[in-house]
Amino acid sequence: MPGGFSQRRIRSGTVMDLVVATGLTKRYGGIVALSEAEFSARAGEVHALLGENGAGKSTFIQILSGAARHDGGSILVDGQDFRPANPDAAQARGIAAVFQELSLIPDLSVEQNIWFRREPRTLIGTVDRTALRRKTLELLHKYDFPAIRPDRELRRLTLAERQIVEVAKGLAKEPRVLILDEATSALPAREAEWLLKLTRRLAAEGRLVIFISHRMAEVRAIADRLTIFRNGRTVAAHDAGAVSDGEIVTQMIGRNLDRLYPERLPTATDRVALRVDGLSSGRLSGVGFSLREGEVLGVGGLQGHGQRELFQALFGAAKASGGIELWGKPASISNPRAALTGRDGIALVPEDRRGQGLLLTKSVRENLTLAVIKRFTDKGFLSARKEEALVKEMVNFLRIKTQTPEQLAGTLSGGNQQKVIFGKMLLTEARVLLLFDPTRGVDVGTKGEIFQLMRDLAAKGYAILFHSSDMPELVHVADRVMVMRNGRIAATLEGERISEEGILGAAMLESEAA
Amino acid sequence: MNAFLARNRLILLAYAGMVLLLVVTALFSPGFLSASNMRSTVVLAAFVGIVALGQTFVIVGGGIDLSVPWVLNSAAIIMALLCAGQDLPLIWVAPLVLAGGATIGLINGLGVAQFGVPPIIMTLATNVILQGLILVVTGGSPSPAAPSVIKFLSVGRIGGIPVIALIWLALTLIATLLLSKAAFGRHLYALGTSATVAEFSGVPTARTTVLTYVISGTTAALAGMLLTGYSGVAYLGMGDAYLFTSIAAVAIGGASILGGSGHYLGTVAGAMVLTILTGLLPALNLSSGALLVVYGAVILITVSLGSEAFAGLASTLRRSTRKT
Amino acid sequence: MVLAEKAPPHGGTHGSTRDWRGWALDRAPFLVACLMLLVIVGVYGSYQTGVFTLDELNLDTSAAMTLMLAATGQTIVLLRGGIDLSIGGMISLGTVIAATRFTDDPATVLFWSLFVLALGAAIGALNGLLISVLKLQPFLVTLATWSILNGTAMIILPTDGGSVPGWWLGFGYLTLFGLSSPVWMLLALLLFWWWFRWTRLGITIQATGSNEKSAFLSGVSITRVNVLTYGLSGLFAAGAALYLTTQTGAGSPTIGKDYILPSVAAAVIGGVSLFGGRGHLAGTLVGAFILTLIGNLVFVLKISSYWQPVASGVILLLSVLASSLAEKAARGRSA
Repeated sequence: MPGGFSQRRIRSGTVMDLVVATGLTKRYGGIVALSEAEFSARAGEVHALLGENGAGKSTFIQILSGAARHDGGSILVDGQDFRPANPDAAQARGIAAVFQELSLIPDLSVEQNIWFRREPRTLIGTVDRTALRRKTLELLHKYDFPAIRPDRELRRLTLAERQIVEVAKGLAKEPRVLILDEATSALPAREAEWLLKLTRRLAAEGRLVIFISHRMAEVRAIADRLTIFRNGRTVAAHDAGAVSDGEIVTQMIGRNLDRLYPERLPTATDRVALRVDGLSSGRLSGVGFSLREGEVLGVGGLQGHGQRELFQALFGAAKASGGIELWGKPASISNPRAALTGRDGIALVPEDRRGQGLLLTKSVRENLTLAVIKRFTDKGFLSARKEEALVKEMVNFLRIKTQTPEQLAGTLSGGNQQKVIFGKMLLTEARVLLLFDPTRGVDVGTKGEIFQLMRDLAAKGYAILFHSSDMPELVHVADRVMVMRNGRIAATLEGERISEEGILGAAMLESEAA
Repeated sequence: MNAFLARNRLILLAYAGMVLLLVVTALFSPGFLSASNMRSTVVLAAFVGIVALGQTFVIVGGGIDLSVPWVLNSAAIIMALLCAGQDLPLIWVAPLVLAGGATIGLINGLGVAQFGVPPIIMTLATNVILQGLILVVTGGSPSPAAPSVIKFLSVGRIGGIPVIALIWLALTLIATLLLSKAAFGRHLYALGTSATVAEFSGVPTARTTVLTYVISGTTAALAGMLLTGYSGVAYLGMGDAYLFTSIAAVAIGGASILGGSGHYLGTVAGAMVLTILTGLLPALNLSSGALLVVYGAVILITVSLGSEAFAGLASTLRRSTRKT
Repeated sequence: MVLAEKAPPHGGTHGSTRDWRGWALDRAPFLVACLMLLVIVGVYGSYQTGVFTLDELNLDTSAAMTLMLAATGQTIVLLRGGIDLSIGGMISLGTVIAATRFTDDPATVLFWSLFVLALGAAIGALNGLLISVLKLQPFLVTLATWSILNGTAMIILPTDGGSVPGWWLGFGYLTLFGLSSPVWMLLALLLFWWWFRWTRLGITIQATGSNEKSAFLSGVSITRVNVLTYGLSGLFAAGAALYLTTQTGAGSPTIGKDYILPSVAAAVIGGVSLFGGRGHLAGTLVGAFILTLIGNLVFVLKISSYWQPVASGVILLLSVLASSLAEKAARGRSA
């Protein structure tokens, strides 16, 4: 770790500071999520909280908003001890959070959601619907919200609209401290810009906004100060103007970027592994491309422009029309089972590890072999010996850290869980791999291993389609990058043109014009 | 071995409970452990156990089958009607009735897997529809006596062992092989744990779901035919008690009602526990009302153990990960 | 993105054009239930004279009221995303207590009525507590308490019997403005619902059934919601038991099980979702009417009464299919 930064380590909070946390510690079972973390922020500022996934940011704001309780250390709000028993108690002290994991109720209307549990009431204890509507419109008007119908049921809204409702719900509490956890990540450009402006305005009104974002440009645009977490500890706190992007990134990941990414040797051959022609599904419209043997093809673009639909359609997890050819032969993939057909098949490492990838309450062994039960079935009976051999092979090959193969998958760390999913798909022997955000919520060490694995597999002749929500990953790992926009491929970048600017440019060019 | 114990803790608990019950019963009524009494207990438990076999598969897969009472009852009545007390027709009647049970299961399964009808509603609907149809067919009057072959299967003995116990044993073996040693079992546990993960792992989820209901329909029909032999005739309402007992046996046997865990071997212990309790209470001079109270208490206790046991298991595993 | 396209980028005004098709799709299961009820009443009326009279309404409502009360509690539980099988035991126990304890003395009747109601609420609350504290499945917990309550009822009164005072039996025949007391109860139930669904408790129960995690993150105490939800269900089951004794005049330790699954069916036919968060009592009441009137219909059509369960099963399946089709259509529209 570069020594220069430790001198700028945070001093314990001054009298002026509104929220001061010292020595904050939180454990979940055996996993330490926060370890003596420090944080100090004052009223009237936008304070960015930075760190990788799993650095402890989410845990910190959960504690601050009353959704979790800390095991050690203390928090002072206004100089007084703060240990909320639940979200209500935190609110009573003026702290409200806009969660990344939305806290909204699908079957209630927009206005009911905004004022949930704090609705204006009539004499007989029912919700005063006239007052509810009036207050909602006032709130939306006051903060210049994008147009949303207050009587719409929440489950009928788009993800972006829901995020905006979540912001409204936070603001309705008139908090002194507003926590925005990745609130811009689901928003289109115009709405994101609105939210940034709103954030500045709230700070100008004398509130403290704790702002969490992975978009450096946003942090640069609005943050007064920033605190950086890594592995549950506070590594630095700065005035925003006093540090460079490079310094921040280095402090976030704790080592140089170049060591994270493996060398990218040209391993692609001329043989086409996957050819897609006029593929349409949901917002995906008429996508066509080829993926070659030995190639890592990146899929980028702003979130929600058809990447998810593309991966699901290719894997048979969503209804789709259009042509798919695998290794030169037309394939009809109507469900995942039809995709996982051995060597000539196509395998997916899905986006939602817990919901789509892993049986959390089953063993590592059962998870690893779930997709290849045929490979160890003898005359209809499972062979424990053959299964063990397969499991051993994968545990060793991927260096999965598990006590025994019988350990429950849910008790592994995020990185090891992801390795189990990789193992499950590699055991199918499919040589076309779809990786959807495979490094999300994975520690840095495992990230490096995953990238190395991808390049190794490519060298062995695998063909890999790779989506990441983290642009630098695409830039550093992929041989080519397809940028998606409005359900189509807006551009395919190669060689020198693969850069964050290039991807962003292609992703935004037309949406700006529209 | 430790992992084996942890994994099957609830099933072992069910057996421990069964043994404990036997000991307690023996203390209160010494005659209870006699060969003849044990025989009749096993015979009665076999009916519960056979119905609960299908129920186990359905529940492990994440569903529930409320149609067993009238599948059982319909099977009994149709068999009795078609055979009219003769043995010979059984050659085609028995397969026909089993196929009928399987067909009801198929309809349940398709409703659940293809049309997304909640299992409770789907199987409830087929249950009342069957009930009505059977009432229409019989006009509510009782049916002829059971064929003697069926009587032999349900109350007869081979070398002192009840035939139905042998049937139950064979079914237990098949069920155990299916759950523990066949691809189908793996698919089933995956499906019950998370249908989405199973689907994304290439598990034929729809087919697996449908199969569980087909098995349940078949075992309910089989139990219906055998039960006719035991009671001598098929009568309306003979299946009613088996809805509660089949689900209770599965729950006491350690399966989660949410699916994904449990085993038929546990259900066997569950069926035994329920039946021993039935035999125990008269010995203690308790009414059938008291039996229901005890049933309820036993279910509450076992599922609570299951809930805590899971928490305990998880923390043990967490502790062991911390060491590494 | 959809959000930014047509709407002005900023400003608080919001479109007010009513989307009638969306409105209908959202309520499709309820509308289908109403349609079925209309058809049944229509057929019934064309075979029988005097169907469209107050007398007939009074008669049918008094026949349906036990199920309606039981299904009201069940609706609240389903809205929470749970299920309550114990109402069967509570109904049996309630009728048994009433039939063995009631005397001609109104004070005694009042005391034991209040006792039954309090017992129902307490047992329900216990269900809720067991479910939340031990983190157990509602299905199993209420299955177990059903068994316990039913057993208790059988211990108190092994077979049907007991008696209630004559004036208690006359309850269903009291009329006001030509409407019998069950019809007034029906109106009271609707009024209750109109009030309850807009109270914070009602909204919180619905919200918790819609998404438990989000509700928790918004500060809802799940234990409290469960205790109140199942407590209300027990209370309504106890009310159903008391009402039932005004109809039968006796206690029955086994009668309750006839209301467990029909209460769920009535709610589902009326459009209440088994997955929680969606549905209204009006639908449940329509469902209860449908299930009750099928019996009348079978009678006037002069077909075997054994067709009644067949018809109710088919109607149940039809309404579930209708709602899943409507949901698909609605999702297609909003996507």
